[in-house]
Amino acid sequence: MKSKSIFKFMIGLYLVLFFAYMFLPLIFMTIIAFNANDIPQITPWKGFTLMWFGELAKDDQMWSALWNSFIVAFSVVAISVPIGLGGALLLTRLQFKARNFVYGVLVSPILTPGIILGISTFLFWDSYMDIPGGLWTAIIGQSTFISSYCMLLIMSRAQRFDLTQEEAAFDLGATHRQVFWKITLPFLKPALISSMALAFMQSFDNYNTTLFAIGVEQTLPIYIGTKLRSFISPAMNALAVIFIILTVFGAIAYEYRRRREMIKAAVKIPPEPAAQVLGM
Amino acid sequence: MGQDVELLDVSMRFGEVYAARDINVHIQAGEFFSFLGPSGCGKTTLLRLISGFMDPSEGQIKIGGKDMRGIGSNNRPTAMIFQNLALFPLMTVEENIGFGLEVRHVSKAKRTKKVEELIELVDLYGTGGRMVSELSGGQKQRVAIARALAVNPAVLLLDEPLSALDLRLRNHMRAELRNIQRRTDVTFIYITHDQTEALTMSDRVGVMSIGKVEQVAEPDVIYNTPKTAFVASFVGETNIIQGDIIRIDGDYALLKTAWGSFFCKNPQHITKGETATIFIRPETVFLAEESTAENVLACRTKTISFEGAYAVVTLTTEQDQLFTMRLNNDGSVPKLQEGEQIKVRFSRKNAFVLKNGGTPIA
Repeated sequence: MKSKSIFKFMIGLYLVLFFAYMFLPLIFMTIIAFNANDIPQITPWKGFTLMWFGELAKDDQMWSALWNSFIVAFSVVAISVPIGLGGALLLTRLQFKARNFVYGVLVSPILTPGIILGISTFLFWDSYMDIPGGLWTAIIGQSTFISSYCMLLIMSRAQRFDLTQEEAAFDLGATHRQVFWKITLPFLKPALISSMALAFMQSFDNYNTTLFAIGVEQTLPIYIGTKLRSFISPAMNALAVIFIILTVFGAIAYEYRRRREMIKAAVKIPPEPAAQVLGM
Repeated sequence: MGQDVELLDVSMRFGEVYAARDINVHIQAGEFFSFLGPSGCGKTTLLRLISGFMDPSEGQIKIGGKDMRGIGSNNRPTAMIFQNLALFPLMTVEENIGFGLEVRHVSKAKRTKKVEELIELVDLYGTGGRMVSELSGGQKQRVAIARALAVNPAVLLLDEPLSALDLRLRNHMRAELRNIQRRTDVTFIYITHDQTEALTMSDRVGVMSIGKVEQVAEPDVIYNTPKTAFVASFVGETNIIQGDIIRIDGDYALLKTAWGSFFCKNPQHITKGETATIFIRPETVFLAEESTAENVLACRTKTISFEGAYAVVTLTTEQDQLFTMRLNNDGSVPKLQEGEQIKVRFSRKNAFVLKNGGTPIA
């Protein structure tokens, strides 16, 4: 009896520590965003304020970095998802001897440190191709490893695809293009959507690769990094609070939708048994 | 309307292995034709060759008199029903059936009309708006049939589509398929390893062993007068006795076997002195009367399993070989005990001798 209550206590303690570890920094950071203190600290508390949000809104550099981040992220999605799709289709349906080798090559960027990807992208384009670093090189550099993520994600669904469905469609008179658009792509749609989301988020908060590949331009993470090195302002906390709120709302909306669909599916009338249909 | 399918010297090679070799079959327009054979005999390969998923290594396939080489399966007058049905899971029943028309850019109004007709033909009334996953096994089967018929194929290819169903539903669908075939007049080419399925549904059956067609004939001809030892042993239950031919008597031969000497039909006209195999169907074996002199076999009953309309009796001889007899429950059969010594007979008309091995005769 006693060992059971000790066990319960330990579990409780573990959970408290776990959540404290996860969330205390976020809570502190959020509180600081509303403290009218020039230095980002909780104490001394100099009163509640929204001035850091106002300051953030006036920061032109932040806006241009945010805009750049969106340009880069959307471009990375536009490049990585098709490349990932191509790789996934290639690896799931063709049985050729070099398959494992090709797989290794396509996945290797994930295992390569981001800094190396960034530096090599910059060197290649800047020094050898005479194209100076900028958003363009950042997009290329990020896409190298984000395409691999997309490929792995799409592959896991493509592996479950029943190829006879394509044969059936083809047999019914569809062209290869029609088979792809009407049969293959709709099946892969969930994986394509999640790989888009993944690619967007991977790109949006990438620091390592971007820092070295981007030259003199800035995306949001680079801007924040630079800011934290030069002078520290609670405006950065305000920015972080905005992102936390957006993330939490996104998660809640997703969960709400998922539950509603689950209920919808459960309410549906089950199909009649075979015997009844056949009139037996 | 159905079209005829001609296979002329068709061979299909994968590397060094022949999946089909020198196949020559002419399937008539509007015929229900089955390829029957054990798994791995190349019957699915044959179906895929006709449907156009691949072209034969050698030989020619003609549909409606037209050579099909180089014509993709989307441009052939065939439609296939796959073993796993391959219905499109993200579409409703109507969308599945209408798919072939949609990709051919048939107008929405015409499409709807055709889909409605087919739903009625295959008896799927009221399920048009449902998703495929919401249907029962038999209903899925019907969707697959309707989807294939929607494109007005001249030839419908069926790759063991009933194998996943339970026995009762399978029997029902057999009758249904046969019915649909008669109503639509489309040529049906059916692949199966189930002899009952092939015999009950087909106009003609092609029995296949490894990569070869052994015999093409009507179901009763296949069963009653198999051309080769392979056909005789693959189609239906049969008793086998090895022996040497010691005398030829017109269409009959006398064989000396370890169990005694027996007269039987000799359709291959095997000559005296050769070793061959006698085939006897269990339902042509009867209890011997005192007066019987020819083709009598002394043995002991081993097991008797009573099935209602008939009883299956397994017998052992002195050489400990098994022999099966099927006795009709017509009231004339005395009650047998297990382990009893009895004598059985068979008529020389119902037994036949064939060359050993599976080589077909001309």
